[in-house]
Amino acid sequence: MTTRTEELLLNVGPQHPSTHGVFRLVVKLDGEVIKEATPVMGYLHRGTEKLAEDLTYTQIIPYTDRMDYLSAMTNNYVFCHAVETLMGIEIPERAEYLRVIVMELNRIASHLVWWGTYLLDIGAMSPFLYAFRDREKIIDLLNELSGARLTYFYMRVGGVKWDAPEGWIQKVKNFISYMKEKVDEYDDLVTGNEIFMARVKGVGTYDAETAINYGLSGPNLRCTGVEWDLRKTKPYSIYDRFEFDVPTQTAGDCYARYLVRIEEIRQSLRILEQATEQFPDGGEIMGKVPRAIRPPEGEVYVSVESPRGELGCYLISKGKPQPYRVKFRRPSFVNLQLLPKLLVGETLSNLIAILGAVDIVVGEVDG
Amino acid sequence: MADLMQQPITWGSVSLMVLSAAVLLLIVLGYVTYAILFERKVIGWIQGRHGPNRLGPFGLLQTVADVIKLLIKEDIVPRNADRALFILAPVIVFVPSFTVLATIPYTRNLPFADLNVGLLYYAAISSISALGMLLGGWASNNKYSLIGGMRSAAQMISYEIPLVISFIGVILMSGSLRLSTIVEEQGPWFWQWNFVPQILGFLVFIVAALAELNRTPFDLPEAESELVAGYFTEYSGFRFAFFMLAEYVYVYAIAALTTILFLGGWHPPFPFLDFIPGIIWFLLKFCLVVFTIFWIRATMPRMRGDHLMSFGWKVLLPLSLINVFITAVVLEILR
Amino acid sequence: MKGLVKGLGVTFKNLTRKKVTYRYPDVPLKMPDRFRGIQHFIPEKCIVCNQCARICPTQCITLTGKPNPDPEKRVKVIDTFDINFEICILCDLCTEVCPTEAIVMTNNFELAAYSRDDLFKDKDWLVANNTNVRSENSLNKRAKGAN
Repeated sequence: MTTRTEELLLNVGPQHPSTHGVFRLVVKLDGEVIKEATPVMGYLHRGTEKLAEDLTYTQIIPYTDRMDYLSAMTNNYVFCHAVETLMGIEIPERAEYLRVIVMELNRIASHLVWWGTYLLDIGAMSPFLYAFRDREKIIDLLNELSGARLTYFYMRVGGVKWDAPEGWIQKVKNFISYMKEKVDEYDDLVTGNEIFMARVKGVGTYDAETAINYGLSGPNLRCTGVEWDLRKTKPYSIYDRFEFDVPTQTAGDCYARYLVRIEEIRQSLRILEQATEQFPDGGEIMGKVPRAIRPPEGEVYVSVESPRGELGCYLISKGKPQPYRVKFRRPSFVNLQLLPKLLVGETLSNLIAILGAVDIVVGEVDG
Repeated sequence: MADLMQQPITWGSVSLMVLSAAVLLLIVLGYVTYAILFERKVIGWIQGRHGPNRLGPFGLLQTVADVIKLLIKEDIVPRNADRALFILAPVIVFVPSFTVLATIPYTRNLPFADLNVGLLYYAAISSISALGMLLGGWASNNKYSLIGGMRSAAQMISYEIPLVISFIGVILMSGSLRLSTIVEEQGPWFWQWNFVPQILGFLVFIVAALAELNRTPFDLPEAESELVAGYFTEYSGFRFAFFMLAEYVYVYAIAALTTILFLGGWHPPFPFLDFIPGIIWFLLKFCLVVFTIFWIRATMPRMRGDHLMSFGWKVLLPLSLINVFITAVVLEILR
Repeated sequence: MKGLVKGLGVTFKNLTRKKVTYRYPDVPLKMPDRFRGIQHFIPEKCIVCNQCARICPTQCITLTGKPNPDPEKRVKVIDTFDINFEICILCDLCTEVCPTEAIVMTNNFELAAYSRDDLFKDKDWLVANNTNVRSENSLNKRAKGAN
């Protein structure tokens, strides 16, 4: 007699502790081994790009806050940067410095959330709380500067909304020295942990060629040894004034992605250190912007390095107060494309480790 | 208590036995209530939080409120569940967990059932619980529960073996399976307790015991981020409370067993501290073990199933066998 | 083994560190001055220019004006002014464009309600919400310069 075996169809999500929002994966299991995985997305789709066609340029900026809600500053920036490029607006130096400082702070905050939640997925509880404890300090800083804790809406076409309040730069400096200590503590707590290494080393491995073919960017690409960071390769804003390294790893597994992100926190701190040191004493925070923002007819594509990869904005203007079309290249969405291929043959525990290491923000995936 | 066993069964002796069991149950329930609170507090402190502090002074009533909530909750049996097994599973999990406590001696004068095969009794009874977990996972008719149940069965069976073999070193040292004799055989100074000569066995025991308890880093059967709640995903209300209760009673049992087997039971660490009653020393060591379990939970990530299996069979089992071998050889030489 | 022990050391060190949680519902949270909370409305200043309703990205502001009771003046006065906090995204644009500072931000943020209807705030409610008003409403360059 032969035994009849059946595949187990398991719905991971949309309500599941480890899908970070409303993301769904339909997996076919043979025992605990995955035979097939189909991501189902769109539960958080809000149609930002379509909505943008009916909104003025200033009104679109708060919508960008809500795409990648873990690094709203980068989203703000990419849209403002697109409009400014199209209109040829000069940004005052002070505003540029403020932008870089808030973007790097936001990058650290975003990586901290990733670090905490990833470890929570792997089963360790405390890192999550430590990460949020330290992220709270960043949020307090950004709250003091921009007036919101998550959806900052801080940048405007031509500059930034608020100047740094008195003593704010000093607070950022204090935070940098605080955070440096904490990153070392994170290393002690997690990076060398044998159980953690056994969980993530050699899991979800792909090579540089696959990564490029699938359009991966950010830490997901750099973990395969490709040194591609838009802050270095296509410098925007004033990033060419700072000295920093692009951390890369060659293994291409979850552990490499982990190490790249931890090192990126350190590099962001380095940028912050230099930016706060060079911060100009005075000056305008808004460039010369016409009263009504009407970019000339034309189209533009700009891209910046968000914590998750290449965040692009493609803008078509017909000379009206509203854009004709806005398209965001959302790195979480693109990075997710490799997932079904990566998951085949892995176990259910590895699914969580691999999905977590991609670092998705569902708001960005679904747009 | 032992005399009581020898006497002919009368209404008086039976009611005394039932009464003392009931008292123990109450003590255990009280312990579980505050162990849960203590766990949440310790983990809270480690994570820069205060832990529960809203109900009662220092949150002392938090668990009481949680239990009341569980008691008055609707008791749900899923429509497609295997009803009989679904109801039976929590019972099978809980009853052994409480039964093993009967054999644990707290001080010289306070052994409940001082069995001469106490350790064997413990090992035999406690493994029944795995059956309940598997049943619960199967009967729920939920995919997550099923995977959780399967994981727990595999894990419990694999780690039972090194656990029991690590007992043997201790048994060789003391020449008895009776838990009170094992304590008596350990010397008055703390370096004479079993955890020093049996250091290998002690480490194997701690790891295997954590795995038996399904606690971090071995909490795969209920791995929240993967399996939602593992084998008790579908359970609610009182039945869920029984699973929780069993889990914490096992923490109690394992902590007591660690104290007895390796940490000298009711002996003070130095003989001149003899004036402090044994029960205090027992409780102190007991609390230390419980704290360590919680502390580990707050630090470690979760292991992966295949690593867990290979670790159990390829590392722990040989280690425990080596330990038995070394112990036997050394004892033979010293004799 | 070394990594595990190091990790245990880190968590043990944190056991005695100062706790970082807030006593929030017991002690109110003090938000920084720039914090964008719920708007405060000052009807006397309003000139019914409709700029706030027009700039709002989600169209959550509805307002109507009525003829000035003083027949000498031709400026309308505000009649109704409602903000629907179900869809308001607290973006601050309305206070930014207001030429007379009739609508300003406060630091209050507690909007939770049991019913969706409760989130529809009318003029009286917004007028009564007059605590913790933000001091820097006019400091922003855009509101001063561009408008």
